[in-house]
Amino acid sequence: MHLKNKFDVGKFTILAEMQPPKGVNVSAMVNSATRVQKAVDAFLVPEMGNAVMRMSSLGGAMILQRKGLETIMQVNCRDRNRIALQADLLAAYGCGILNIMGVSGEDPGLGDHHQTKAVDDIDLMTLFKAVSTLQTGKDLAGNELSGAPAFLVGANVNTRVTGDELEKELSRMAEKAEAGVDFFIAPPVFDIGAIAPFMEKVDLKKTRIIPTVMLLKSVGMARYLDRHLNVTISKDLIQRLMRAPDKATESLAIATEIISAVKAAGFAGILISAMGWEEKLQKLLDRV
Amino acid sequence: MIIADRKSLEEILDMIKDFKKILLVGCKGCVTVCNVGGEKEVGVLAVILKIARKKEGNPIEIDEKTLERQCDPEYVEQIRDIFDQYDAVLSMACGVGPQFLSEAYPSQRFFPAVDTKFFGGAVQHGIWEERCAGCGTCVIHHYDGLCPIARCSKSLQHGPCGGSADGKCEIAKDVECIWDTIVKKKMEQGRLEDLRTIRAPKDWQTARDGGPRKSIREELVQ
Ligand code: SF4
Ligand code: SF4
Repeated sequence: MHLKNKFDVGKFTILAEMQPPKGVNVSAMVNSATRVQKAVDAFLVPEMGNAVMRMSSLGGAMILQRKGLETIMQVNCRDRNRIALQADLLAAYGCGILNIMGVSGEDPGLGDHHQTKAVDDIDLMTLFKAVSTLQTGKDLAGNELSGAPAFLVGANVNTRVTGDELEKELSRMAEKAEAGVDFFIAPPVFDIGAIAPFMEKVDLKKTRIIPTVMLLKSVGMARYLDRHLNVTISKDLIQRLMRAPDKATESLAIATEIISAVKAAGFAGILISAMGWEEKLQKLLDRV
Repeated sequence: MIIADRKSLEEILDMIKDFKKILLVGCKGCVTVCNVGGEKEVGVLAVILKIARKKEGNPIEIDEKTLERQCDPEYVEQIRDIFDQYDAVLSMACGVGPQFLSEAYPSQRFFPAVDTKFFGGAVQHGIWEERCAGCGTCVIHHYDGLCPIARCSKSLQHGPCGGSADGKCEIAKDVECIWDTIVKKKMEQGRLEDLRTIRAPKDWQTARDGGPRKSIREELVQ
């Protein structure tokens, strides 16, 4: 059963982020993914997040697909113009990639190739339009395609906002849904209460929202996320991690609790971001 | 200087179709020199617009004013007393002008009457050509004073590409291949060797690619 069908029958889906390597050694990625393949519905393959150059999402996703794993290929507007974007979307579908996720892409200034030009030929909403145009059997120039793709399309949504920002985010989410987005990936959540204002405004039965569950690898990381990345992590949670004799076990316990809370709240699924602890994924998934 | 072209009459008429009284503002800077938005062109456009609107049976009142420069807050003040007497203001300056005006007079609506194109100069009467793309790190000394960033269609630092033919660029028969010109000049001067240097990938951060830019001259800041 493909991801789309699982969404359709209302299964709580488990997605896992699988970062392609910086280099050509794909064994770690393939091993981490195959080890947990039974428990994971699809692997989200990021496209050079934070503008750090690595193997492309298309390449990573193709390698995983070849092993029989379902993937969600991320596509960004930063690195390709409309010709390359459409070409890669066709390539992806031709290689069996049925799911994509559109993102704008962070500014190169944040990454490891500061001096480059960002392409930004088309913006995110135009990218979604390009996808739906391809699905009608035409390209952006209006030329006929020999065979049209039929993707399940994802996008980001920020569930952490409140007040005016929440209103803006909801309008942007509606705009994306109108442009053909089928599911939304939300940022890491450590306390479901923190996204209560969002949950009040959205019918989770109608809109497929998938929060991210991030493994906290250390107290330092938790503090950093809380202070610098606008991810609320309560003092209690940080103390719990501090007191724990075995940080890894505690971190998995925390993630398991969050996943249960997300599931109970009626979300469509979760995206697990292992942050390099891919080898611990199996343990976590055994508990879910 | 900044080169602009006037928008088509149809486009301008469409922009201002809902207004009965507008102020048409010219600029005595670049757009005067490239004959697109100075006092003379303001006068001409005002007449054409009035005739067109009269023909439509929807006459419009247009006042004219040409500022020293629309990109300077001091001169932008020249319409302080009158700006709110109009339904809208149509600017014939480059894209900078109507933005400075919008910032100075937030309650008024401003429309651009020209399309701002490039940094260049007149190569003969009535013909202007691009010379600079404002990349923020000038490198023309490597190319004997010719800029491949602005003048090569691919902004190649090492050219020409395979599309260069008979001195023309692959994009059109009437476009000079600047790389052909650079190579010829180096050959004539016996310095073709210069072009053997492989340059580092260009740092585009100083160009528009690094985000909106600002120039701060500490000694002038008060
Ligand atoms: S190198 Fe850059 S600054 Fe110099 S002329 Fe060319 S575009 Fe302009
Ligand atoms: S033909 Fe000449 S000007 Fe045109 S892209 Fe190639 S090198 Fe540049």
